Amino acid sequence: MNGHVKSMNFQQFMEQATTLLSLLLVMAVYSTRTVAASRNQQCGNPLQQTLKLSRLIQKETVDLIKTYKVSQGEMSELFCKVSVNNIPDPNISGMETSEKIVSIYTHLQDFLPHFNRVYDQQTDLQSSTSPLLTELNNVRARSINLAAHINNLYQSLFPNVPVPEPAGRPTTLPPPQNVFQQKVYGCVVLKTYKELLLNVSRELRILKSKMCTRRIQKKHFF
Amino acid sequence: MGSGRALQLLALAFLGSALPARVEADSYLAIVPQSPVLEVGTNFTATCVIINTSEVTADDLYWILFETTVPVEQYTKINESALNVTVAITREESEWLFCQCKKDVLFFQNNGKLVHGIYLQKGYVPGKPENLSCEAVQQQQYISTNFSCKWQLVGRQTAAVPTSYTLYAAVLFMQIYNETTQTNRANVKLGDTFPHHMTLEVWVEAHNKLGKIESEHLKEDSGWFVKPDPPSDVKVFSEKSFPTSLLINWTHLIPKERVKLTYQIRYRQNGTQNWTYVPPRDTATDIKSFRLQGLQPYQVYETQVSCKNARQGLYWSTWSTTATKRTPEARPASIPDLWRIIAEGDSASERRVHFICKDPVLANGRIIKFDIKIQDPKEKVKNRSLEWDSIPRSSQRTITDLKQIHLADQKSVQAIVTATNSVGKSAEASLVISEKARERPPVEELKVWPHSGQLWLEWKPPISTELSEYVVEWVSEGQTDWQKEKRNTRSTAIKGPLEKFVCYKVSVYPIYKGWVGKPASKEAYLEQGAPSERPVVRLQDKPGRNQALLVWTEIPQGSRRGFITNYTIFYTSGSETHEITVPANTTSYTLKSLSGNTKYDTWIKASTIGGSVTSFNHSFTTLIYAPGEMEFIVVGVSMCFLFIVVMTMLLCVYKKDVIKENFWPPIPDPGESTIGNWSPEYPLKAETQKDSGLSGISVLDVDVGDGKCVFEEDKAGLPLKKDKYLSEEHSSGIGGSSCMSSPRQSVSDSDEGGDMADTTASTVQYSSVVAASSGYKGQTPNAPPQQAFFSRSESTQPLLDSEENQDMLLQEGSRQSKRFPPRQPRFTDSADSAGIAEQQELLEPLDFCPLGEDSEHATPVDGQAADWLPAPAPLSSYMPQLGGYRPQ
Repeated sequence: MNGHVKSMNFQQFMEQATTLLSLLLVMAVYSTRTVAASRNQQCGNPLQQTLKLSRLIQKETVDLIKTYKVSQGEMSELFCKVSVNNIPDPNISGMETSEKIVSIYTHLQDFLPHFNRVYDQQTDLQSSTSPLLTELNNVRARSINLAAHINNLYQSLFPNVPVPEPAGRPTTLPPPQNVFQQKVYGCVVLKTYKELLLNVSRELRILKSKMCTRRIQKKHFF
Repeated sequence: MGSGRALQLLALAFLGSALPARVEADSYLAIVPQSPVLEVGTNFTATCVIINTSEVTADDLYWILFETTVPVEQYTKINESALNVTVAITREESEWLFCQCKKDVLFFQNNGKLVHGIYLQKGYVPGKPENLSCEAVQQQQYISTNFSCKWQLVGRQTAAVPTSYTLYAAVLFMQIYNETTQTNRANVKLGDTFPHHMTLEVWVEAHNKLGKIESEHLKEDSGWFVKPDPPSDVKVFSEKSFPTSLLINWTHLIPKERVKLTYQIRYRQNGTQNWTYVPPRDTATDIKSFRLQGLQPYQVYETQVSCKNARQGLYWSTWSTTATKRTPEARPASIPDLWRIIAEGDSASERRVHFICKDPVLANGRIIKFDIKIQDPKEKVKNRSLEWDSIPRSSQRTITDLKQIHLADQKSVQAIVTATNSVGKSAEASLVISEKARERPPVEELKVWPHSGQLWLEWKPPISTELSEYVVEWVSEGQTDWQKEKRNTRSTAIKGPLEKFVCYKVSVYPIYKGWVGKPASKEAYLEQGAPSERPVVRLQDKPGRNQALLVWTEIPQGSRRGFITNYTIFYTSGSETHEITVPANTTSYTLKSLSGNTKYDTWIKASTIGGSVTSFNHSFTTLIYAPGEMEFIVVGVSMCFLFIVVMTMLLCVYKKDVIKENFWPPIPDPGESTIGNWSPEYPLKAETQKDSGLSGISVLDVDVGDGKCVFEEDKAGLPLKKDKYLSEEHSSGIGGSSCMSSPRQSVSDSDEGGDMADTTASTVQYSSVVAASSGYKGQTPNAPPQQAFFSRSESTQPLLDSEENQDMLLQEGSRQSKRFPPRQPRFTDSADSAGIAEQQELLEPLDFCPLGEDSEHATPVDGQAADWLPAPAPLSSYMPQLGGYRPQ
């Protein structure tokens, strides 16, 4: 009798365990597929657009620096070798992807006031039809677009974590400068921004390789 | 229904509180809703509310729509002060809806306060715009921020309810730009710079007073909408070591970081129409150069390039400017196109063979020269060492004259030709001219016809396994051209340039493994037109009376411009134009049934199927008489005249007695007169039996022995039995003269008087003197002398006849004389033979004496007559009788 009861209990336990395992298996498969689907989406258009845009800005920044040097007159090479304080750091910080993305976003936001300052300064120094102003405006506008892309990318990858604003680290703009200082300042800003874009592009490529490689592996796995 | 009712009550409640304040001073009626915008095709319900008066109730109200009273069936009475109406909105035009009071008295007393109207604006709900498309064009190295879109309008709209369209272009995560328009296209400006690598969402919203609706949203990368400019600086390079390849280079202003482009390349041989497209997979990558392969050497190629955004770009650019380049030369890849022209030789058994040649189809370069070798086909193995003749290629023409030889009809010959360009020499082309008598059979049932600007041929092949190809040759005005066709060809078109209105002799030669067979030939025109030269029409000879032979010149071959189908001859005499159509091979025609002595204009029209040309007029006049007709008439008239003459003569000959009797009635012979017997005791009837043939001649034959007989004959010659002649002592004569010229009045049978006198020129009145005396009768010796009577006979016998018949009469006289020869001796036996002889001499001229002589002798005779008339002696009385005739 007892044996029979024990046997019955064991059978019930086994049935419950089997049900539980089945449920866990289904959940695991489902969760894996969800992550894969999310990563597949990020490997697609938004990430590629972000990477392309960063390359475009990088290319346009290189052109912009050339144009800047040409438009500043003599000793333009000298301007760009002078170090200037209070310029945002072009290096991407953070170890995790989310941290790096936030760092990119923060740096882009940090550079915008400097771009505006340089644009204002060059507006006084250049004629209104100067290609430098056009290119400056383009780079500034694309930086805003890139920041929007990074924000979107972050939200898509980490939808439950808000993008941290650069609070407590207000952008410091230089005090009023003379023309020489303006020229030096502008060139340093552009050069630093170019470095930032170089870093951004690299990080995005890494991110893309991670996302799209995993996607491919998942594809093979399933 | 319940909800609708509740809404109405709600509206009424609203009216009760809001409207009275506004319309109180204006009207006792108010309509809810005010100024509605209605959709055509729906039903509309309005409520008329009575305000601030108790003079009217809802029963006193009625509705008017478009000047027509709305039927009561469409009314719904809500209460004593509110009346609903439901109308169908069918017309598009806006109109007024009135609520009015039926009581006229009240209506006018209240000065219009018992009427209220609302203006119904009608329209349609906007339709959903379709087929939205947008583009951003390239500007230098940038893309324009001017974003241009267009779409297709859907649905209807009215003037009262117009539909507007607002174009939205949203840069995702950034900004939305919009532009409103009334049409189907709009532009929006996407900020200061084109948002590369951003997602654009574009849509159109159609909206009006009745609602709004959005088109489908286009959500694509901004590059999707970019329409780039075509590549610039397209250049093509050739490399001598690659005669079948060309290298294309180009540039593009847009950096690939902005828009990554993909390219499309097409090329074609210069002068051809169809482009060859490079497969897209070969140009899908980001390239700035491309190598075209598999081209023909030494050919000019045109190349164009276009581009679009590589990432699902929507718009291809236009094609770039054409870059042209010739591929390098290569060795001729095909044999030269060898042919021959055969003409008559100098002798009858000889041919003149002229070898001609065109460049190889795959010349792969500029042919510099041709090498030709002519040999006997049967001895070609032996004559391998024959030398080649080198002929430079013609620089002006595509056909090069190679060589001309004289070939006997019994011999055959083989020509071998190679073509050479700057790179090398072609393979050998061979052509064999066989013996004339041993030419292979021709193709059959050759047909040639123009179609779609080409001359088409069709034939049936000869039955032969050796048939290798065909040569289609066309010759015109000494110019020969040809093309070769494969052995399985049954129909083809002449590919060479042909001229319109030129006659081509098209021949198809079967080639039997290099041996030329007999040709089949046809003539054909690419297009036919009216002849360029007029035929000249004229008359072959002088025109006849009813016909004329027209001849016209044949139009020269070069001027015909088509096959002459027929000639149409026109001729007219002024009133009606006749036309006659004759076959094309006719060059003369005889116009018949013409009118004589009429001027005719004639012309001729030469016709082809492409038109006709008319000759100049030629005029001629037909003859009055046909040739020979005049001669026929003259001969006929002459023959008739001659016949009449002959007949008359015959009549005269055979009927001379009748004629004589009619025209020369018997003249009583005075000598035989029996006047003496006219007395009743001498019956006349016995004397009528006498022969009257002797009446014209009276020979007084005094035969004493036969005096009675004489008297009998005289009686027969007396036609003077007619009463009028029975006059006594009367004489008549011409013009009153008489041989006897009696002064006494004579009586004749001519009652016509002067008329008769006019005929005296042709008639002679004869007087017959009959001396009925006893002496006359008394010639009979036995008869007692009787009283002598003088009687005269009259006759209208023409004197001319008498003269013409003088001989006859003489004969008659002589015959008569012969009848009485026995009597002459009797004269001789008379008492005075000399007197008788004298009497005979006087008797003969009695009938035949000329008038003149008679006239000369008349007077003395008359005198004598006057003297001797009373004389009683018989002889003396007889003699004056004779003398009495003579003067006539």
